[in-house]
Amino acid sequence: MIGRRSLLTAMMAAATAAALLGGLSSARATDQVSLTIGKLLELTGPLSETGPSQDKAVSIAIDYANQSAAAAGVPLKITAVSADAQGDPQAALSAARALVAKGASAIVGPSITPESIAVANGLTIQKKVTLWPTGTAMRLRTIKDEGTIFRTVPPDSLQAYALAAALTDKMGDPKDKLLSIAYRNEPYGEGLAKGLVAAWTAKGGKVQGPVVFDPGQATFDSEAQQVVDNNPDAYVVIDYPDTFAKFGASLVRTGKYDASKLVVPDALAFSTVPSNIPPQALEGARGTRGGSDMSTEAYKLFDQLWTKAGGVEHFALDANSFDSTTLVVLAAAAAHSADAGAIAAKIHDVTRSGAPKFGPTTLGEALKAAWSGEPIDYVGVAGAFEFAANGDPTISRFDIYEYKGGKLDVIKQIDASK
Amino acid sequence: MTRRLEAASGASVGAPERRFESIPAAARLAAVLIAAAILMSFARGPIAVGQTTLNGLVSAGYLALGAVGLTLVFGTLRIINFAHGDLLTLGAYLTFGISALGLPFWPAAAVAVALTAVIAYALDFIIWEPMRRARTSTLQLFLVAIGLAIVIRYTIQFFAGSQVRGVGQDVLTSVNLGPFHLGALQALVLVVGVVAIAAVGLALAFTRLGKQIRALSDNMALAEVCGIDTRRAVRLIWLIAGGLAALAGVLYAAAVGSVNPNFGFFILLGLFTAAVLGGIGSAYGALAGGIVIGLAQEWSTLFFNTRWKPVVGFAILIVMLLVMPRGIFGGGRARS
Repeated sequence: MIGRRSLLTAMMAAATAAALLGGLSSARATDQVSLTIGKLLELTGPLSETGPSQDKAVSIAIDYANQSAAAAGVPLKITAVSADAQGDPQAALSAARALVAKGASAIVGPSITPESIAVANGLTIQKKVTLWPTGTAMRLRTIKDEGTIFRTVPPDSLQAYALAAALTDKMGDPKDKLLSIAYRNEPYGEGLAKGLVAAWTAKGGKVQGPVVFDPGQATFDSEAQQVVDNNPDAYVVIDYPDTFAKFGASLVRTGKYDASKLVVPDALAFSTVPSNIPPQALEGARGTRGGSDMSTEAYKLFDQLWTKAGGVEHFALDANSFDSTTLVVLAAAAAHSADAGAIAAKIHDVTRSGAPKFGPTTLGEALKAAWSGEPIDYVGVAGAFEFAANGDPTISRFDIYEYKGGKLDVIKQIDASK
Repeated sequence: MTRRLEAASGASVGAPERRFESIPAAARLAAVLIAAAILMSFARGPIAVGQTTLNGLVSAGYLALGAVGLTLVFGTLRIINFAHGDLLTLGAYLTFGISALGLPFWPAAAVAVALTAVIAYALDFIIWEPMRRARTSTLQLFLVAIGLAIVIRYTIQFFAGSQVRGVGQDVLTSVNLGPFHLGALQALVLVVGVVAIAAVGLALAFTRLGKQIRALSDNMALAEVCGIDTRRAVRLIWLIAGGLAALAGVLYAAAVGSVNPNFGFFILLGLFTAAVLGGIGSAYGALAGGIVIGLAQEWSTLFFNTRWKPVVGFAILIVMLLVMPRGIFGGGRARS
């Protein structure tokens, strides 16, 4: 009896304390919002080439946002936690759990679509944590994410057009031209190849393949042979860096391969070709990647920040990760809260079309306006974002580049929606 | 007991017979494969068939070299060695480590092969030997092997990182044989694979130690009673298994050009398939199994989309085991 009474007293005391603490913390929340952003990076695994640049993009976005918030007098303090997705859905999910456990209210990354699906289904949808993947595969469009997945990267339905445009740019009218397609057996390749076949055949082109290869094979020679058979006018290989190191070597060994006929998508867009990929496999090849208008003030500022920070070179989609991070910060400012669900609810308010436009160069004012509760329209480094219901952006700018001397050289930019 | 003795004596009497039996089996297999190649040439042209055959033989080289150790270890010690694939990885990564110390790649590879052989032996001393003495069941041994596989893999990752590692060998130079081409390192894989397996096979058939190992695989207790130094034979088995696994790993890494610490594990199922298909316990069986799987997978690309290539190996395994339950070189031995 005594035990029960003392238990009751203890519970009441605890409840009072909790109420007091709760009151205190909510009072403090209006004073200072401490936001933690999770970086779910590809530091190891098949896309490990992308990890360092994404890490850097998010970090400079956070530093810049902290400076802007302090200068504008917005009581917002942002920190980052990071984890390695390892290119593996299970590992990505446990890494994401670790990020949320460390207080992350939003997660930027991962880069591989099966990872994003595992993280969304296993964690972020339930917890209302917004997920900002850089995976471009079409399959991400169809999950029931309850408004938690946002992509600042153009989807592969558009990249397929960009690839077709890059091909046309190189070899003229597609009519009766034979295009040989190969892809690594993943949603990324499958979706992109499907879109490309449709885009190419619609213009009267012919398609060979697609040759689909499994990443765990001991040899890729038979697959490579099929790609160069019948001397096609061009090849598109949709692959990740780790398999392309092997597949590229197999292509060169066929003796019939001409790298200048190759066009690759964003996963094979390297500022400098990595040493494990035979240079002969990519020299003279062209490719596409989500691009940013480099003439804008926003891009110049981003590039300045990037150079000032030192470290790795630009990689595909780094500007997009910068924008993702900035959007999370703006939404947190609008919500006056670091609560994951509150941030998710405010994303559309900071990308509202028709509202006053702000960008990275005016981030301080943007934060102030968002904090005051006004809707704003953030136009990022990669362009304006109006998220469709499935969380995809409406941006559609792509770089077309060419490899010269082992370096990537952007030769033009296109709008893939046209 | 009498049944076991009978079985054992049957097997030991059968040993020379089996050697004669295995020649027609090899000839039969060769005839079937050649006939298949000729038939396919009519459908897809001799050049395409020839090229995929070469590619298939290269896969067969890796598979067979890796499978020899697996098949010997299971045949004699009844260990389903799930850690075998990671011995391939270990061989490759030891090579990287030693060559980082300044040794050129191929001498480093030789040291790594020797080192892996010793490690495989040491693992027997630390883990398998005490388990054998405790009469651990095959299932328990299997679980221990899975655990060991993970320990080896993550130890490698701990020291070398999990990123993809370029090997730095020239993977582009190819040897042209008329209309066919083959990477120079791939050709090396083929030659070394066949030589190594022939050497092991001949040693098993004709040397005293080889005969002892075969006696061991028939009945360990009986072999011991007969005065065979089983420990010495077991030691030799692990040295061969570890060394060949490392050799397979190094050759694979060199010919493919880049690897990560998971590659041995990915290959492992293929190795099991080759070992089982060839007939457990037979070195030539591992070669035959490797050839059948390698050729079937590459030939399948002539008729089906290449995405089905990994499936083909296992489909073949199922079908062939239905027809030949003991594998190609399984002979008269029944396994409980």
